[in-house]
Amino acid sequence: MLFNSLSFAVFFPLVAALYFSLPHRHRVPMLLVASCVFYMAFIPIYILILFITIGIDYVAGIYIEKCQGAARKNWLIMSIISTCAVLFVFKYFDFFTGNFTGLANLAGWHLAKPVLHIILPIGLSFHTFQSLSYVVEVYYGRFKAEKNLAVYATYVMFFPQLVAGPIERPQNLLHQFYERHDFDYERITAGLKRIAWGLFKKLVVADRLALYVNDVYLAPRSYNGLQLSIATFFFAYQIYCDFSGYSDIALGAAQVLGFKLMENFKTPYYSQSISEFWHRWHISLSTWFRDYLYLPLGGSRVSFLVWCGNILATFAVSGLWHGANWTYVVWGLLNGFYILCGRVTQSARSRLFRAVGLPEENRGRTGLRIGTTFLLTCVGWVVFRARSLGDAGYVLTHFWRHWDFGSIKTEQFLLRQMPVAVGAILFLETVQLLSARVHWGRLARQVQLLPRWAAYSSFVFLVILFGVFRSTQFIYFQF
Amino acid sequence: MTEAINSTSATTGETVSSETQCAAAEELASKASRPQWLRLMSFFFVLAVIAVVLNWLFNFGLRRIKTSEFGASNLIISGQVNAQIVINGSSRALVHYDPRIIGRITGESTYNLGRNAAQTDMQLAFLKTYLRHNVKPLRILQNLDPYSFVLTREVYDPAQYLPYLNEPTLYEPLRKINPAAWKWKYIPLYGYAVEDMNFTWIKALKGVVGLNPREDYFLGYNPRDLQWTGDFERFQAQHTNGVRLNVESEGVQLLVELVETCQNDGIQVILVLSPEYIGSQTMSRNREEVVGRFQKIAEQFRTPFWDYSQSDICRNQSLFYNSQHMNRAGAELFSAEIARRLAALPDRRVSADSGEKAPLTPQKVVP
Repeated sequence: MLFNSLSFAVFFPLVAALYFSLPHRHRVPMLLVASCVFYMAFIPIYILILFITIGIDYVAGIYIEKCQGAARKNWLIMSIISTCAVLFVFKYFDFFTGNFTGLANLAGWHLAKPVLHIILPIGLSFHTFQSLSYVVEVYYGRFKAEKNLAVYATYVMFFPQLVAGPIERPQNLLHQFYERHDFDYERITAGLKRIAWGLFKKLVVADRLALYVNDVYLAPRSYNGLQLSIATFFFAYQIYCDFSGYSDIALGAAQVLGFKLMENFKTPYYSQSISEFWHRWHISLSTWFRDYLYLPLGGSRVSFLVWCGNILATFAVSGLWHGANWTYVVWGLLNGFYILCGRVTQSARSRLFRAVGLPEENRGRTGLRIGTTFLLTCVGWVVFRARSLGDAGYVLTHFWRHWDFGSIKTEQFLLRQMPVAVGAILFLETVQLLSARVHWGRLARQVQLLPRWAAYSSFVFLVILFGVFRSTQFIYFQF
Repeated sequence: MTEAINSTSATTGETVSSETQCAAAEELASKASRPQWLRLMSFFFVLAVIAVVLNWLFNFGLRRIKTSEFGASNLIISGQVNAQIVINGSSRALVHYDPRIIGRITGESTYNLGRNAAQTDMQLAFLKTYLRHNVKPLRILQNLDPYSFVLTREVYDPAQYLPYLNEPTLYEPLRKINPAAWKWKYIPLYGYAVEDMNFTWIKALKGVVGLNPREDYFLGYNPRDLQWTGDFERFQAQHTNGVRLNVESEGVQLLVELVETCQNDGIQVILVLSPEYIGSQTMSRNREEVVGRFQKIAEQFRTPFWDYSQSDICRNQSLFYNSQHMNRAGAELFSAEIARRLAALPDRRVSADSGEKAPLTPQKVVP
């Protein structure tokens, strides 16, 4: 069930109404049932995979806490292996066997490539990571094992964040299922506004830009440099709005029900370095990799060379998490390389800025850093979005060639769409810039009811009439 | 444990269980939230009302338009066409037949019902809708395509139907193609928001205030001032083994039903396979099968079948903008040719009831 579907528009109000109507002791089971219904709207039989992983990790958590010594570690390893095995089979089997048989063929062994041809269960990468963080936290004694199976299952399957995050930590989310959440008008309306904003990002911005991006990246060799540049710029906003829009809807839906999920995006394109970018983009995933891969490898408290290896390994695995394709691995490594270069050149760049009269707080310097960071991320997005490394190489080497201002449109994206697309991006940026100075909730409370409702209604119908509904599931669903 | 669960009321000294306290708290919270529930429901009620009003306004605006595609549809629905010759078919009908030329040469009023991307199922739907509101024509030129026996898989440009979903002759076929079409009719703004990608609602708002789009439809005909695009060469390169034209049995049945519908109303049907660029004809591996089926239907219903596949027009690329569609120059040439052929027809039609030949007088259809 997609957030931008009619089914969800019926499902969510029903669930919310039921949630607030039921006595507190029935609410968690109801949320669990609702989450099962939500998940089964995709491929019903896959709920069994979820149940199996939930069962294994629930039991593992209890025994990790109960046991001592080697037995504890064995339970942890068993849980990690079984969770990762599910991920490997459904997501990476074809990729690894394809690469293995390719290498074998190069060596002269002609092996038939075994292929599974199974559809990736939706949200697999997200809920497996959420489960993994739970067992690790229990193992390290940072969290007590959850004894209530219904509560644990709801923690894993909580429908607002089940299929595309944020990847929650047990310390943040689990206790909230024991708290009583009453109907709170301010909280609910704040949640609904957040949902509306998320839908604007997804439907008006992301899905409209997708019409252009999909055409160009499907066959980049059919388009000129201007179109490749526009498509890449559009993709930067498409993926940001698609994913952060989803997160807004998830956080807003959870907020309506009284739950607080972690923030997943903090205007990442205003970052002044790639390092800062990764503190603002998909925060739940980057902190997961920091805590469970980067830091256990030693983090930055190692020699410089080992630190470089840690960074590259972490980003390579992060890239691979996004998809079973070398484009994602290269994208991850590219980001790791950016971080290394950033560290190595940090003092030289500071000296250079001072030499040209751009001290630390200078707006020109800030603007330059933001612009450079955005360009570097766009280069990364080319690799991320392209269907192959060959296509990525073509786009990167043809940006500046054969610009034809008379030939901008694509098959699905006619010229009349351009003002809407550009206008939507400008509106988004305006709101984001103003958000640093304006507290929207406080501002809304100062306005009378009628003009306030008129503004809300206008925004809702703006989303409805300018949104693109036909395409598309959320990009990160496929991960 | 007992002290933790129970508490003693300060006034009455009674012991109150925590369960009772919880229930009481819940009831209190519920009562306090009722006005807030109502406030929230009121906002959504207002949204629903606005949606209904906007949907009605968009439909109203589109039905006021006097030009272009919606103008043509509005003329048909309001029963203002009443032509003696009606051309029916897909986009090939839409761009191939100029009613002004045909009308001038034959002396009979002519109108073009052709629709972009309309397969035989939707062509029949349009024809039935036309017949529901207008006087029965004397003749229908039913344009045929190499893919006339293929059913519609996805409704093209759903927005063109949104103001007319109360027409059962349009709505039922749409529902057959897309079972979810009920949402276009019964959920306000669904069609305009979800199905339409062309901001047709803006056109509708302009229609409300009387602003009409530029006229590009002439008695239902939509001329194309285009030169050869080269799409055909790209298609040819991707299909070096040619293509096989689908012949779906339901598609054949629909064409039969179309001819029967006309003949039952005493309308003469002429099946016309209008010109198709010769390069495309040679690519179709089973073209003879398709044309053979057309001939068979024509023989079965004793209706003329005019096959322009071998016309000199088909060999002249400058008269086409792609392999299936003629440009304005081609359409004018073809329209004149077919008009002369129509003018040479014997001045009779066959009555469906008695088999007697009756004089050609338009008869009003009783809805």
